[in-house]
Amino acid sequence: MGSHAGAGTRTEVDMNEPKDIVPPRLPLRLLRFFIKEEYLEEIEGDMEEVFYDNLQQYSPSKTKRMYWAEMFKLLRLSLLRNTTFLQKINHYPMFKNYFKVSIRGLMKNPLTSSINLVGLSIAIGFSIFVYAFANWTYSTDQFHEHKNNVYLATFFANRDGKEQQFGGSPRPLGEMLRNDFTQIKKVCRVEDHHGIVKQEDQVFHERIRFTDPEFLDMFTFPLKWGLSSTLKDPNSIILSEDMALKYFGDENPIGQVMLLKFDNNVSKEFKVSGVAAAFPKSITINFNFLINYENLLSAETNYDLHDWSALVNATFIQVENPLDILAIQQRMDKYRSIQNKAVEEEWAISSFGFEPLATLHEQSEYIRDDISRSSKSNYSSVRYMMVIGTFMLALACFNFINIAIVSAARRLKEIGVRKSIGANRLAVIIQFLSENVVMTFFALLFGLVLAYTFFIPGFEFLWDFNMDFSFADKNLWIYLPIIVLFTAIASGAYPAFYISKFQAVGILKGSVRFGQKNMLTKMFLALQLILACVFITGAVMFTQNSRYMAERGWGYNQFQTMYATVPNAAAFEQLQTKMAEQPDVVGISGAVHHLGKNQVTRVLHFPDRDYEANQLRVDARYFETMGLTLKEGRGFKDFEGSDKQAVVVNEFFIKNAGWTNPIGQQFTMDTLQYEVVGVLADFHSYSFAREIQPTFFTVANKEDYRFLSLKVSSGTEQKVYSAMQAHWATLFPEVPFEGGYQEDVWGNYYGEIAIHGVVWRVIAILAITLASLGLYGLVKLNVTGRLKEFSIRKVLGAELKHIAVIIYRQYTVLFILALAVGAPISYTLIKLIFTTSYEYHMPVDFTGTTIAVTILIVVLLLTISTQIRKVLRANAVEGLKTE
Amino acid sequence: MKKTKLGEFEELVLLAVAALQQEAYGVEIKRELESRLKEKLSVGSIQSALKRMEEKGFLTSEFGEATQKRGGKRKRIYATTSYAHKVLKEMKDIRAGLWEAMPVLAHELKLI
Repeated sequence: MGSHAGAGTRTEVDMNEPKDIVPPRLPLRLLRFFIKEEYLEEIEGDMEEVFYDNLQQYSPSKTKRMYWAEMFKLLRLSLLRNTTFLQKINHYPMFKNYFKVSIRGLMKNPLTSSINLVGLSIAIGFSIFVYAFANWTYSTDQFHEHKNNVYLATFFANRDGKEQQFGGSPRPLGEMLRNDFTQIKKVCRVEDHHGIVKQEDQVFHERIRFTDPEFLDMFTFPLKWGLSSTLKDPNSIILSEDMALKYFGDENPIGQVMLLKFDNNVSKEFKVSGVAAAFPKSITINFNFLINYENLLSAETNYDLHDWSALVNATFIQVENPLDILAIQQRMDKYRSIQNKAVEEEWAISSFGFEPLATLHEQSEYIRDDISRSSKSNYSSVRYMMVIGTFMLALACFNFINIAIVSAARRLKEIGVRKSIGANRLAVIIQFLSENVVMTFFALLFGLVLAYTFFIPGFEFLWDFNMDFSFADKNLWIYLPIIVLFTAIASGAYPAFYISKFQAVGILKGSVRFGQKNMLTKMFLALQLILACVFITGAVMFTQNSRYMAERGWGYNQFQTMYATVPNAAAFEQLQTKMAEQPDVVGISGAVHHLGKNQVTRVLHFPDRDYEANQLRVDARYFETMGLTLKEGRGFKDFEGSDKQAVVVNEFFIKNAGWTNPIGQQFTMDTLQYEVVGVLADFHSYSFAREIQPTFFTVANKEDYRFLSLKVSSGTEQKVYSAMQAHWATLFPEVPFEGGYQEDVWGNYYGEIAIHGVVWRVIAILAITLASLGLYGLVKLNVTGRLKEFSIRKVLGAELKHIAVIIYRQYTVLFILALAVGAPISYTLIKLIFTTSYEYHMPVDFTGTTIAVTILIVVLLLTISTQIRKVLRANAVEGLKTE
Repeated sequence: MKKTKLGEFEELVLLAVAALQQEAYGVEIKRELESRLKEKLSVGSIQSALKRMEEKGFLTSEFGEATQKRGGKRKRIYATTSYAHKVLKEMKDIRAGLWEAMPVLAHELKLI
């Protein structure tokens, strides 16, 4: 076909025409690279001719551009070089062979492959679960379209000697910002208020969210029914899907009327104008009932929109450009001075700040009274889980590496053959790694099943939430291949390099021996033991701790006591009269606040400094009813108008104040002088998760009573409680009963501690499983490899103890070393976790570590015993006959 | 026809080669077709068509002279084979047959 004549005689190039403009060099070079050699001269010439033709018509730069374009248009299959590197990539049959060999390998050694597969599946399943949990945590409130443009107004203030950030803002701030800054496009204030919803015969306590109409524009809450613009109408109410379901069932409730009771005297009818679509599962800023902010004026008596000294729960602003916030920030000083003029000095603030919605949830741990609830524990759990997940993967990889190295002896021949028919070292490495990818891929499938059917639903069941995990998540499909590749390479790299290193000649001659003594194998086993030791210690200690916490006293009697909230003093009187008639009631008292339910934070003035403490206003019988113990001094005197300026404080208060002789000490609060008359032993108002706070009690006015607390004789709690509910229903049919047993005020706290124990036990069981699988596989391979030796020993008269000693000796030193390192590590690590995650916990001792060490020793003994038994039962002749 | 599969563009290039005779090399073919088709063509499209047809046996080629404009690189002069002529003729006949059939169709279409 094409003539391949060599270089013919070249005509002399005539140099009289100016040739300073030449074709660009780079495309020419590319062209020379990819065009078939035999076409090159012709095509290059054509290109050049076209170039100079074009040069006569167009500008040099255009001509060069056209040359580039022509070069790209030459990229055609019929003109391209048959590049040899392309052929080299075509390894399809080889990989097909690798795949076949890996599957056969897996089938041939069911024991080792199932150990590897189970281990990797558990670890990968756990990693998927960690991913799902992290995804759930980090996606909290991230679904809002304008999350980067919406900011929460916050302020910084020095409280109790510390600069702190607060999530509320002065009431008029929102409106002023809207008028003063052109950059601010939208503003909404949010205030929550308690209300009673009456629907037909039922009454419920509910939280009502008052907000500006922009709320639904700034936050992305699409409506299922109705229009979001109806929030402008002060007579409209928008419900969440849950609430629509609760009050109206499946039907469309638009146009229905709801009666909301804000106060004893104030109630208002609202027309349902919208129902929100179901909220995403991971959410902290949401609503049940949404009504126009203006309704606050009628809901709360004397509500003053322009009062700088009062706070609104939250003020959000939306700016066009996130950079605008800097300009706004700089001009916030003006409001600081207005604010500080309006409030007393002790409430002065130091500056205003803005927190973007996108990071609000992550930051909310550090913002006090923030509308978006903090989930500090979730973020730290994610970190713990990640660490544990990595350890699990490490454990599984160690197993894999160990077994791969030890069992490589069986595959030496195969490698020798491969090498002698032309495989280089790289090919052998690729073979082993691709086998691992196959293996990890299977593990991934099992892991997905395990995560989807066990880890995720189990965790959701324990904590009673829904993490909204779905396979449709795009990032999951990036994460999974990364996990597979990472695991495959982490577990396969070392064995592959190790095995591929041997010379074919040596292998085939049989002079290569290995697998018996490998330092790395032993190190990995030791690491596994250490990790298992940590996990078991954790499991034991968390279990012990939940038992300890359940028995720990609260500082008062939480068992024979109960409480009910009352709307006003008259209601208190009525209920008190009824309850006093009950023979089982031992004590009744009234209070404005209640242990575990509410209290207020006050600033106290001492001559030398200011001090923040919690206040509870109670009656004279409260200490006795609730079982608080008086350490020093006296309680309040029981007559009208007594002890108006007396306080009873807790021990922690004394400690913080640094008083040696507390009785008679004085301080100022709201310009009034108070004197300490008594000291109470410390008590936990809230759960053990919260530190004991400096707390003081003052006498409450009868008119302000909002709680009725009861002490009953032992064993009659349920009887009295249902009697109280019955009385309530007859006395106040319009108001739902609200109250409970005192032991329930901490909510699910004990449940949560118990869950910590469960989670750790599951993790520990997984860790023990992984470690013992690895150990079993290793011992078994070792013993099988030495079967001939043991057979000879047996023939020569070795007994049980001789063989046992020989096998045990290999592992004793390793075990002692691993445990000597593992025990102290687990002790310190768990102690660290305890002190960081619990304010109060059991004294950390060595029982956990001891139990962990014992369990591990038992596991070792059992594992090795099974192998010894096998050696003993095997016929020595059979052992000698092999090969 | 199946074996002698000739694309529309290939056919044009082949005809251009036949027409240009001794001048039938890459750039000249490109110029000829560009002026007749009144559109820009790329070197790549012409060259790949030439190479494909050479492989199919429609064309033969040999090096011609080098010019200064080509930076001293030789031209490759293409010539049509008798096989190509046969195929071109066949194509022409098929087309002619179809053209002859057309007026009837057009007439009928007009009735609708």
